[in-house]
Amino acid sequence: MTPVLQVSNLRKSFGGITAVDGVSFEVREGEILGIIGPNGSGKSTLFNCVLGQLAPSDGEVRIDGKPTTGMRPCDLNRLGVSRTFQLLQVFPQLSVRDNLILAGQEHKGTMASRLFGAADAGLGGQAAQMIDFFRLAHVADEPAGSLSYGQQKLLDAAMAFMAGPRLVLLDEPAGGVNLTMLANLRERLQAYHREQKATFVVIEHQMEFVMALCTRVVVLAEGRIIAEGLPQDIRKNPVVIEAYLGH
Amino acid sequence: MTRLGAVGLVAAVVTALVLPLFLKGYGIYLLSMWAVLTIAALGLNLTLGYAGQVSLAQGAFVGLGAYTVALLMQAGWPFPVAFVCAVLLCFVIGWGLGYPALRVQHHYLAFVTLAFNTLVFLVLRNEEWLTHGIYGVSGIMRPALLGLSLGKPLAYYYFCLGMLALVAFGLWWMIRSPWGRAFVALRENPVRALSLGLDTRRYTLMAFAIGSSLGGVAGALYAPLVQFIEPNSFALGLSFNLLLMVIVGGSGYFYGPFLGALVSVLLPEWLRVTQGYYLIVYAAAIMFMMAVCPTGLFGLAQRAARALRTKRAPAAAALQAERTRP
Repeated sequence: MTPVLQVSNLRKSFGGITAVDGVSFEVREGEILGIIGPNGSGKSTLFNCVLGQLAPSDGEVRIDGKPTTGMRPCDLNRLGVSRTFQLLQVFPQLSVRDNLILAGQEHKGTMASRLFGAADAGLGGQAAQMIDFFRLAHVADEPAGSLSYGQQKLLDAAMAFMAGPRLVLLDEPAGGVNLTMLANLRERLQAYHREQKATFVVIEHQMEFVMALCTRVVVLAEGRIIAEGLPQDIRKNPVVIEAYLGH
Repeated sequence: MTRLGAVGLVAAVVTALVLPLFLKGYGIYLLSMWAVLTIAALGLNLTLGYAGQVSLAQGAFVGLGAYTVALLMQAGWPFPVAFVCAVLLCFVIGWGLGYPALRVQHHYLAFVTLAFNTLVFLVLRNEEWLTHGIYGVSGIMRPALLGLSLGKPLAYYYFCLGMLALVAFGLWWMIRSPWGRAFVALRENPVRALSLGLDTRRYTLMAFAIGSSLGGVAGALYAPLVQFIEPNSFALGLSFNLLLMVIVGGSGYFYGPFLGALVSVLLPEWLRVTQGYYLIVYAAAIMFMMAVCPTGLFGLAQRAARALRTKRAPAAAALQAERTRP
């Protein structure tokens, strides 16, 4: 079966620094792949190259076997690839509901139907479901900027799922989230994964979170993959321990 | 909309309909000018207030609209055709002006649009074969609508008011549609918007084109209103004035430009008693207002309404504060 995401020999340099140095991996349908690595190991750059936010210096990205290197983020998104950001990226002045509708509206109809059609682009029901699913009902009509950090993280994730993506790339979803909210977030992600059969790639530092959520883990250090395997094996791998604690 | 808002809106509409019946020529002229400038400011509010694209060229589009209508009518074209040409021209040129916005933002974009405004002014002044240069275009006739002459000030005022109502309805519709949400997303976080499938390039160009075409609508109504146009009316001053209307009213508030244009048209008249000092007083008032309330008059009103509500329900407000604590 064709992998959902196929990255081959991806390279990205900024001036003299090679942030991603020939990375290759595959993500199969329904997998939750974790990408871990010390700060500056090239994880976010890798994401940005896969998602079209940065143009890779070399290498290729394929989604469902189709080369997508150089495609714009908005076109990739409409192919069913969605993401969350490391730093919070919601629209603070829009309500929670409007944030969610916005996240789905470009997937429906044409520019003209979005202008002349319904104000909620027919997504009101779906947004309400998502609000319930992520337990945001009590703040649904508040401006997103007035939510707590953890709630905004939940909203951020909910937005990534709004268009029913096949592949979701989550960049540090647990960063800065307290333990209660973290358990909530993990449970919601697992529930979504189970129900929608979506494929996840997760960048994360929080080890417990990765071990509990991911089915396979790739370890990056200095732009290269240094280990790959099941979460429990990765935890014991001396090379990985060296990369995290060494130098 | 809140009850208070609805009452305010109805009162404003009734005033706009009834007030001119009690006014003489000059008062009606001022109200017509208000309606025309509000249309231009509404366009700028879309580009700047909602979509977050700084433009200092709205005055140039008013000029393009005014000259297109004046010159085409002089060549014998009927007003409706000239009007449509003016709006289309501004739409196309506005679309073109949007391209720099795909590369630069904020004050850099302000300079690009400022340069464009100067360029239009120079063309209007120097290309005498087309625009009659500094002599301007005079004797612009007011059109007739469905056999009704709009020559009288009152009739023309109601025509402008009707156009304003049409424009306002169109914009209101657009802003509550997914487009409005997309424009706000463009202003608040273009990178995230792009990752959610928004074609930010297309929306940016649209914001510019539609905002500019409303400048064209205003210009096309302005020419028959004043009946004499010359390049100086469309120099940078007008663009700054329109920007001021948007900011004073409340950038990104739907009704902001209505109020901003009212202040901009009426305040100089009221300040006439101060004679030579009126510009100084006007400038000081604007500076004071910007310092205490950068979100404009509607921002101020919203703050006041919120404060009132807080007084009424302190417990709910305390809970809200609890929730919003980071």
